[in-house]
Amino acid sequence: MAKKSVGHAYNIDFLNVVFAASSLFLFYTTIWMVFDDFDREWKGYQRNFVLLEEYVTSLGLQAAQAGIDQDRLQELNAERAAAEQQLAQNQAQVDDLEGQLADVEADFYRTNQEYNFLKADYDVARYDYEELREEHPDDAEEIRPEIDAMYERWVDLGIQVEELTARRDELRAQIGQFTGGVTNADSEIRELTAEATRLAERVADLQVDFVGDVLLNAPLLDFMAPSLTVQQTITPNVVDELNFIRFQKMDRCTSCHIAIDREGYEGYPQPYRTHSNLDDYVGSASPHPLAQVGCTVCHEGMGQSIGFVHASHTPGSDGQMHAWEEQYGWDVPHLWDYPMLPTNMTEASCAKCHRQTVHVPEAENLNLAYGLYERAGCYACHTTAGFSDLRKPGPNLTKIDAKLTQEWVANWIRDPRAVKSSTWMPRVWYNSNTSTPEDLVRNEVEIDATVAYLFANSGEHEFAVASPPAGDAERGEALVNAVGCLACHITEDMDRLAAGARRTFGQPLQNIGNKASYEWLFDWVRDPRHFSDETYMPDLRLTDQEAADVATYLATLDGPEGRSAEATYTQEDVTATLLDYVRSVLPTAEAEELVAGLSPEERQLELGQRVIGRYGCFSCHEIEGFEGAQPIGIELSEEGSKLLPRLDFAFVHDIPHTKVDWFKEKMRDPRSFDRNRVLQPLEKLRMPDFGMSEEEATLFATAIMSFQTDVQPLAAQVPGSARNDALREGRNLVRRRNCVACHEIEADGGDYVQLVDDPSLAPPLLTPQGAKVQPDWMYAFFQEPISIRPWLDVRMPTFGLEDAHWNTAIDYFGAISDTIGEFRTHLELTTADVPREGEELFELLRCQQCHVLDTIPADQPTDNLAPDLRMAYERLQPEWIIDWLRAPLEIQPGTRMPMFWTEFPASPYPQLDADGPAQLEAIRDYMLTFRGGPSPLSGN
Amino acid sequence: MDGIKAIFNFLADPRLFFILSVVALVFIVWKRELFARNAVGYGLMAFLGVFFLFGLTDENFVLIIAKPDNVPIVALIFLVIFFTWYAMREAVRNDQRMATGDDPIEKQESDRVWVWPDLVYTELIALVLCSAVLVVWSIVLEAPIEQPANPANTPNPSKAPWYFLGLQEMLVYFDPWLAGVVLPSLIIVGLMAIPYIDTNPKGNGYYTFNERKAEITIFLFGFVILWSSLIVLGTFLRGPNWNFFGPFEYWDVHKLEALNNVQLSEYLWVRALGTSLPDNILLREGLGIILSLAYVTVLPYVLARTVLKRYYEKMGATRFYVGAFLFLMMLSLPIKMLSRWLINLKYVVSIPEFFFNI
Repeated sequence: MAKKSVGHAYNIDFLNVVFAASSLFLFYTTIWMVFDDFDREWKGYQRNFVLLEEYVTSLGLQAAQAGIDQDRLQELNAERAAAEQQLAQNQAQVDDLEGQLADVEADFYRTNQEYNFLKADYDVARYDYEELREEHPDDAEEIRPEIDAMYERWVDLGIQVEELTARRDELRAQIGQFTGGVTNADSEIRELTAEATRLAERVADLQVDFVGDVLLNAPLLDFMAPSLTVQQTITPNVVDELNFIRFQKMDRCTSCHIAIDREGYEGYPQPYRTHSNLDDYVGSASPHPLAQVGCTVCHEGMGQSIGFVHASHTPGSDGQMHAWEEQYGWDVPHLWDYPMLPTNMTEASCAKCHRQTVHVPEAENLNLAYGLYERAGCYACHTTAGFSDLRKPGPNLTKIDAKLTQEWVANWIRDPRAVKSSTWMPRVWYNSNTSTPEDLVRNEVEIDATVAYLFANSGEHEFAVASPPAGDAERGEALVNAVGCLACHITEDMDRLAAGARRTFGQPLQNIGNKASYEWLFDWVRDPRHFSDETYMPDLRLTDQEAADVATYLATLDGPEGRSAEATYTQEDVTATLLDYVRSVLPTAEAEELVAGLSPEERQLELGQRVIGRYGCFSCHEIEGFEGAQPIGIELSEEGSKLLPRLDFAFVHDIPHTKVDWFKEKMRDPRSFDRNRVLQPLEKLRMPDFGMSEEEATLFATAIMSFQTDVQPLAAQVPGSARNDALREGRNLVRRRNCVACHEIEADGGDYVQLVDDPSLAPPLLTPQGAKVQPDWMYAFFQEPISIRPWLDVRMPTFGLEDAHWNTAIDYFGAISDTIGEFRTHLELTTADVPREGEELFELLRCQQCHVLDTIPADQPTDNLAPDLRMAYERLQPEWIIDWLRAPLEIQPGTRMPMFWTEFPASPYPQLDADGPAQLEAIRDYMLTFRGGPSPLSGN
Repeated sequence: MDGIKAIFNFLADPRLFFILSVVALVFIVWKRELFARNAVGYGLMAFLGVFFLFGLTDENFVLIIAKPDNVPIVALIFLVIFFTWYAMREAVRNDQRMATGDDPIEKQESDRVWVWPDLVYTELIALVLCSAVLVVWSIVLEAPIEQPANPANTPNPSKAPWYFLGLQEMLVYFDPWLAGVVLPSLIIVGLMAIPYIDTNPKGNGYYTFNERKAEITIFLFGFVILWSSLIVLGTFLRGPNWNFFGPFEYWDVHKLEALNNVQLSEYLWVRALGTSLPDNILLREGLGIILSLAYVTVLPYVLARTVLKRYYEKMGATRFYVGAFLFLMMLSLPIKMLSRWLINLKYVVSIPEFFFNI
């Protein structure tokens, strides 16, 4: 402090300065505070959006104005002018009438008010009377006349009101006779220019207006009625889980994403852009309207937040991440457990409401992810709800001796993708945490022990045909390409993801000649179930000769031998490794005793069993000695809801610490979280390496993120009904048995069409199957497929499914066409029942030109040929035949079946009085009298 | 750079941190003339300023220092050190004056009370400045909304509010009933008892050290070392799993610390006598119980007869014993800390059968 003046402890002049400075400081900080409170991100977006909306609306206005029929407008204007002229001529009369009307209306107003008031007074008096009568009946009777008089007066007034109403309407009608022309013209003009007028009004609304847009949004005044406000959607059935309580979601995303549910903003930058799929999401007519579903149930993120960073946006790429860091100060979200999913993974959220299904319509990424999840067999080690009743994904190894050689198996498991680049078999050894020089010896010890165990525990297999005939590779190749093998298998080297889930349903056939013997291949393709009851491979009903041709061809497919042993080891290494395993479960002394009591061969087998147990080979493969063993992985049923702190990043710092990145890293290199750690061999991570590409890792992460805790209420989910259950079960079945590889069902699948030159040679579309085919026939066909289109090379295989599965399929087709149930219209017709016009029309329309009727029509290209109509009476649903004849293209787009009744119900044909419906019925009934076609029912 | 950081990380080790703090306190009290120099005070501030500026170049340091919750604790470091030094400087000045027979500075002006405008005006200025600082604080240091608390997912580390971090630190060394119930109660009771125990009339209305040596030293130890510095330690140096991290260390959740602590009874029976623990609880914990009881009964009595005889005579029995009891309870924290660090002592008395540990 400066020098003190007399009588003061401090220098007052100095204090004045300090006071002035601190007051200014407070003043500016207060202004800063007001501004900070006022200046919100979302307001800027809303302000900009007004400009954008004005621009877009003006464009729309121009288009609407250009779209107005000018001739018609002129015409209407002329009409209006004429009407006005006429009105002017009668102006005196109109004025007189209007004068009268004004009087009547005044009278009416007064009387009507009196009428209403009196009614109120009467009600009060009546209540008083009623109450009085209850207590003092005698007193009450005194006032009774008064009330009755009131009532009468009220009735009188009512009559007056009615009279005045009638008089008023009459006058209005009289005036209307003169002015009607103008009014009609006006309303027609309004109708014609409605859209333009609406848009013009909107543009006018959007003009900056001092009071509404400036004053009411000004700092400190914006508490009253600002035009810039936080927008929010409170979803009735979609909830947030707050540990102990669930309540409706409150999504404020639309505060910035203002046009998310409006058409017309598709090309504009975020946050103004329209949702990329308005037909399915957010749009008011979509199945997921904004008001019902909100945003964060699908996208995740913090819906309540209205700041870019706090809403937990997640960038889709590194480039976007850096741009965001610069623009918004973005950082990895750590204040919210469920940050937004990257846009290519949003479909993971479908499973929150579409539960227990592996197929969500339109969710292509998720469906593919589920397909791959099954192909890779993740569910075998990791119990996963919805994937629980599946068979083991790998081949049965209980008869491995009959199929493979020890050397091949060792090379194979050392590095499966070195043998078959497209295989889903993962690599168990030589991974990122087992590739140091010290690990090599142990790897080889374990590999050989595993192989030794498998072969020592292999059962006998007797080939169905002791000495298979010789085959022809060329014919075999043609067969493989034609009968349908390629729907589920690939023969060439191909990117695994490009082959997709459907063509890796069966093992890739590349390099199979190196793998299995000719005898085994013959035995297998001839009848897969002979080798393995459990296999999903269906029987294509090959003859022995065909099987021999195919096997010969497959035996020619060879490729690299794979990775060979990278270290040699001694018996001591086997013993040491075994001891290491045994000591992890037994006290050292007992372990040593146990190992010492074993011969060298026994040691290797003992080690093999423990290695298989540790790596969980038995989860995917049937292996002798592991019946009923528990899978080794953690359950994944709710993995997507797992909290980030439960995931161990260990020393991996080069990826963002988010859930999605953890899962992706785990997919790319399952052992990577062992990096830089000092671990004993048995402490190491053991998930095998699937060699995933970035895209595959993203898809698997999508599948895992979709496995969520069940939070959403039933009201948010697909409603439970017999039909929806049948749809769900059926969709799962046709994917789990790969029906969709050949057949298109519900606008999905049917990839086989890409493998044939001509689409008509592909397996048929099955979407209309439920309405089309009789269930009895369908069941019989599934059991014993017959050839419906003999000119097709591709065959419907025999699947050997249980009845329960076939019923699921039949119910599924019924559910698609909404014809689910047992009972069907059944027509037993003979020639006598059918009018002869049926036959006439049949001949007239030359049905036989394309349709088979015992003989295949000659001189027709295969794409014109159609099934034998003699099957119709037991195969087709009579009602469906009518629909089909009427409009085949509606049922099957692209069909060659002509549409004969283009003007239905009118008909160009004279029969039956040119009555279309009657003609359809006649021709159908005639067709249903045919007999003798091939039939699965009679076993032909 | 890394060398300097390593030195600070090393110094932040709780053992060194605590011992250095005590050494610093001894230095402040013993060499107070030196400490009271302006050069030392401003030099300390400058050193702290440079230290934090230097720290800002380190990613991990910034992460902890710049966390909105922690920023005020940085201010606390400066404020506590500055005012400790300031009070000591004023006290030393007065003591020197009084040594030469002068009155303390405050005494010269004691006939005047400047209420208007001096007091009112400075209060107004303080009010204005505080308001402005609070406004700036609330704008600059954001408190964003987080997700709702989830009992299945507690934050790691879970920290008490900053003013309770000293208490939380005690939980490391004491059983919860002691650290959470008994000791906090005693702190409150002890604070209430101060006017009845401390009857020294000197030092009223002016700064002095010489007239209140014991009082000020005990206060500095209790407040600056046991309370404030434990808050600083708890804020900046306790990381995930309540492990210790140097100021420049990355808070790695995987960091491990071996907590191989030994009970006193194990020292006696297993290590010294080479037998197993007796089944009888009283026999097993006998030594600890005797030591604990002696600490609060025999020790004050012995002190009253020996080193603190002068205080005993001056204060009288009741005051002395109450004061000694409270003082010994305060000292039990550093004693327990030291015995944990030096001999890994877990509990003096450990009766888990009755959830009773000391």
